[in-house]
Amino acid sequence: MPAYYLEIAVVVLGLVLLLVEAFTPPQHKRRIGWAALAGIAATFLLLLTVKSHCGCDSPMWQFYDDSSLSLFFKGLALLCTAFVLMLGLEYLPVLEKYSARAGGGPATGEFFALPVLICAGLMWMASAIDITTIFLSLELTTIGFYIMVAYMRRNVGSLEAGVKYLILGALSTGILVYGLSWLFGATGQTGLDAIRTALPSAARGPALFAFALILIALCFKIAAVPFHFWVPDVYQGAPTPVTAFLSVGSKAAGFLVAIRLMEPFLAVESLRTTCIAILVAVACATLILGNLAAIPQGNFKRLLAYSSISHAGFLLLALASDRHTGELTSTRIIAFYLSAYLCMTLLAFAVLIIINKSTGSDELKAFDGLHRRNPFLGFATLIAAASLAGVPLTAGFLGKFFVFIAAAGAQQWLAIGIAVAGAAAGFYYYFKVIRHVYWNTAPEGAAAIPVSPVAKSLLIILIAATLVLGVYPQLILGLL
Amino acid sequence: MTSTYASIILLFPLFSAAAILLGLKKKANISALVATGSALLTLVLSVLVLNAKEWSSVTLLQWSKVGGLELGIDLKIDQLSSGMMLVVTGVGALVHLFSLIYMKKDAGKARFFAGLSLFMFSMTGIVYSANLAMMFIFWELVGVSSYILIGHWFEKNSAADAAKKAFLTNRIGDFGFMIGILLLWAATREISFDGLSNAVAAGNMAPGLLAAATLCIFCGTVGKSAQFPLHVWLPDAMEGPTPVSALIHAATMVAAGVYMLVRVSFLIEASGWAADVIAWIGGISALLAALMATQQNDIKRVLAYSTLSQLGYMVMACGLLASEAGMFHLFTHAWFKAGLFLGSGAIIYACHHEQDIWKMGGLKDKMPVTFATFGLCTAALIAVPFTSGWWSKEAILEAAYKNDGLLFPIAAGTALLTAFYMTRLFVVVFFGKGRDSHVAGHAHEVPMLMRAPLIILAVLAVLAGFALIAGPVLGDEYAKYSQFHFSVPAIVSILTLALGVGLGLKLYAGRDREPVNIKLFANKFYFDELYAKIVKLCQDSVAAVARVLDGLLIDGVGVGGTRGFANMTGNALRRIQSGNLQGYACLFGAGVLVIVLLALL
Repeated sequence: MPAYYLEIAVVVLGLVLLLVEAFTPPQHKRRIGWAALAGIAATFLLLLTVKSHCGCDSPMWQFYDDSSLSLFFKGLALLCTAFVLMLGLEYLPVLEKYSARAGGGPATGEFFALPVLICAGLMWMASAIDITTIFLSLELTTIGFYIMVAYMRRNVGSLEAGVKYLILGALSTGILVYGLSWLFGATGQTGLDAIRTALPSAARGPALFAFALILIALCFKIAAVPFHFWVPDVYQGAPTPVTAFLSVGSKAAGFLVAIRLMEPFLAVESLRTTCIAILVAVACATLILGNLAAIPQGNFKRLLAYSSISHAGFLLLALASDRHTGELTSTRIIAFYLSAYLCMTLLAFAVLIIINKSTGSDELKAFDGLHRRNPFLGFATLIAAASLAGVPLTAGFLGKFFVFIAAAGAQQWLAIGIAVAGAAAGFYYYFKVIRHVYWNTAPEGAAAIPVSPVAKSLLIILIAATLVLGVYPQLILGLL
Repeated sequence: MTSTYASIILLFPLFSAAAILLGLKKKANISALVATGSALLTLVLSVLVLNAKEWSSVTLLQWSKVGGLELGIDLKIDQLSSGMMLVVTGVGALVHLFSLIYMKKDAGKARFFAGLSLFMFSMTGIVYSANLAMMFIFWELVGVSSYILIGHWFEKNSAADAAKKAFLTNRIGDFGFMIGILLLWAATREISFDGLSNAVAAGNMAPGLLAAATLCIFCGTVGKSAQFPLHVWLPDAMEGPTPVSALIHAATMVAAGVYMLVRVSFLIEASGWAADVIAWIGGISALLAALMATQQNDIKRVLAYSTLSQLGYMVMACGLLASEAGMFHLFTHAWFKAGLFLGSGAIIYACHHEQDIWKMGGLKDKMPVTFATFGLCTAALIAVPFTSGWWSKEAILEAAYKNDGLLFPIAAGTALLTAFYMTRLFVVVFFGKGRDSHVAGHAHEVPMLMRAPLIILAVLAVLAGFALIAGPVLGDEYAKYSQFHFSVPAIVSILTLALGVGLGLKLYAGRDREPVNIKLFANKFYFDELYAKIVKLCQDSVAAVARVLDGLLIDGVGVGGTRGFANMTGNALRRIQSGNLQGYACLFGAGVLVIVLLALL
């Protein structure tokens, strides 16, 4: 079976869900969520049967790549979507409150259909090897996200976030198209393979201009400085499952596109030095700002927003340290880092959603005395924070460790220094969360926090994954 | 087939420990049966592995592969590991059986058996490991599980302290062990025993470096096998339940150090003077421990010092490049020392948990089976001719006689002392009259399930040295050790035996009180006090320096400065993050300008 059937299946799934949604009574919208989850899970199982390079003849292969790397990122997108759908089911009560029609019941059905369509975009992005398909799939996800961010239409914060994301997103899209058109102008090609062969003979100025513009647009997607300004506001305003989706799915796909698009530039010796220098500069700025700005945050969602920025810095550093010989190529490092990031970040968001449902607050104060109000939830927070900070035996540690190895191999000593300082700062602000959970006492009369079976199974899976990847990275590295 | 068996032997105790800790904790009796069942199963499988004689290496888990460094759980199944496994699982199974009764009414029974299973898992890992990294991991696991077992009665302060002491003392040795592994890796890029052996044989290492690495590796043995100067933890570790002492302080944990030396014997052979250091450390440990054993009054402590002393023999043999002799003694010692420990356990059980030998006495008639088995094991320990201990000690004395003029008298002196203090113990405990009616008065023979292991061990104590048993387990080359021939060591050995037993009988027969009083020996040469002083001195001076540094540099400049800087930038950044969309778009544009300029200039 060629791999692109999977995207078709997911798109069909999304459309069917939208159709069915129209005929589902409001009190049964939850079923749409379960159906979407089942469909995504089935697609994931199908993915496991797909082999890379199927060899079948099709005009599709000009635009579509089915290497193991692409399949891996497809799997990441599907898993991420599945987890987000579970988070969405958990978040439903909050969503119902803020999405009511005027004079009618809550309108939550599309909330489960849209992630499926976004997932199709992410999966397509994982395979796109032509700048036209890259652009199309990128837009498919971004437009889906515009709607998702502003989904809670009775909530001012969500609407404001939606507007900000829409306008700044449009700005970055414009720059991306502009950059891609310069790339086309410089090489006369749209396929990445053809671009790779044509680029060495292209004029230096236009090529670098194209590089800069493309990098800027991708920096927006992956939340790198100085195009990160939307991140804290949008993360805070959007419905929390959407924030999680943005922070994991969007970033993962963005990085794969970045790997694909940057690679032809880095392969040309005359452009390489400049490109690497810019990448490292952006990485350093991202590391510094992401970590420093995280320190004073008192809101967990905003904290995670800055954490997302700082992780983007580490990933960029890995991207800039390509040509690392041996088993750990920068692509594999990024793939591993993103897998680790998926586990720990979704874990943190899952905890946040559960707490928000009980307390109605995203502030760190809401975590006070969590280990007494629900020890398991406290433990989950501990694992998430430890892994995000990079404590050994968690996935987050190995991710950072691999980045340091690659950067040391590329002799980026200044960047390593900054990254070390950033990681150290990370310990401070992530452990602040742990302090709230274990040291601070709960406010008077605080009740126990219930965890539903769905949420509990989700937490267990994510905790296990975080710890297993922390001692057995080969699980991911072996796939590539 | 053998590799499958070996994997099961390794994993089954882990499953048992996990099952108990995760599910069965509240059902103590089932827990005990699960653990015992797993021990018996591994014993059967060990016999099958040994019987099949299909030597192989198998990778159970490729853990990580970074550059040329491949870390994995690789099992090395050969004569040495299979023979050692028989010892470990054999003694282990008997100890499990014994514990079923001994720990019957203990409140933490499930925890105890989970600890035993975990320990068996760790020990199996050491025995089967094919590379130093895996050995180190399981080495540490043994440390952890022995901590759990020694501190089983943690509500007793002395037990908790002993567990801590054992763990910390071992850490010192393990630190050296780790440095040794790193040195070897750095010099040869090899971490597996086979690879290292080839590299050393090819002469890839400078002699000085090789000697240093060997000594560092040896540090691991010094800690785990309680050799001088890290011997202090073993006697205290007798605070653990007696079956634990039999398991980890006779046959397994402390033997792991010697086993490791045998595994890396190719290093010792190539290391030149480092081998002499090892031999001398072993000899000194043997003699010192034997001296200390003569003045102890706690039945288990006498056995503990005796263990130290016998381990010294084994280490000395390894240092004298006669690792086969060391391994042979390890093998025979495991049975008779386990028999002695379990025997002492039976006595303690019968005497209502009294351990002072001067309160016992006259147990000969009250506990005939224990008396007989204890007697046979003692005979093996003091090397009565044709018992198992005789053959193996003879092999070591032979090696000492051939290699080093000075070590032979030390070894012979130790043999004399061994005969002396064991006679003292035996006479005081079993003969004479019951000195304390509360203790010895009500003593009676222990139940069948406790007697059976004693009998099996006593039989092995006598017979294990013969080629019939030692040959199949350790390898056919061991047959040569159990052939009697007259030589200087043999004569000396018989003379020292006669002298030691005679002296012991003369001094202790019919006594009710300790007739000799040597403070220096009774107080273990004041090692504990000396170490405490040194540690305190170092700690105090480091603490004083640290206090000044912490107050001025870390708190003042470091923390204060960093905090100020971080707060300042954090606030500045917060101001930029105003929430104003136009502002963001403007900054976005500025960012575009910067990047484009960077690219084009």
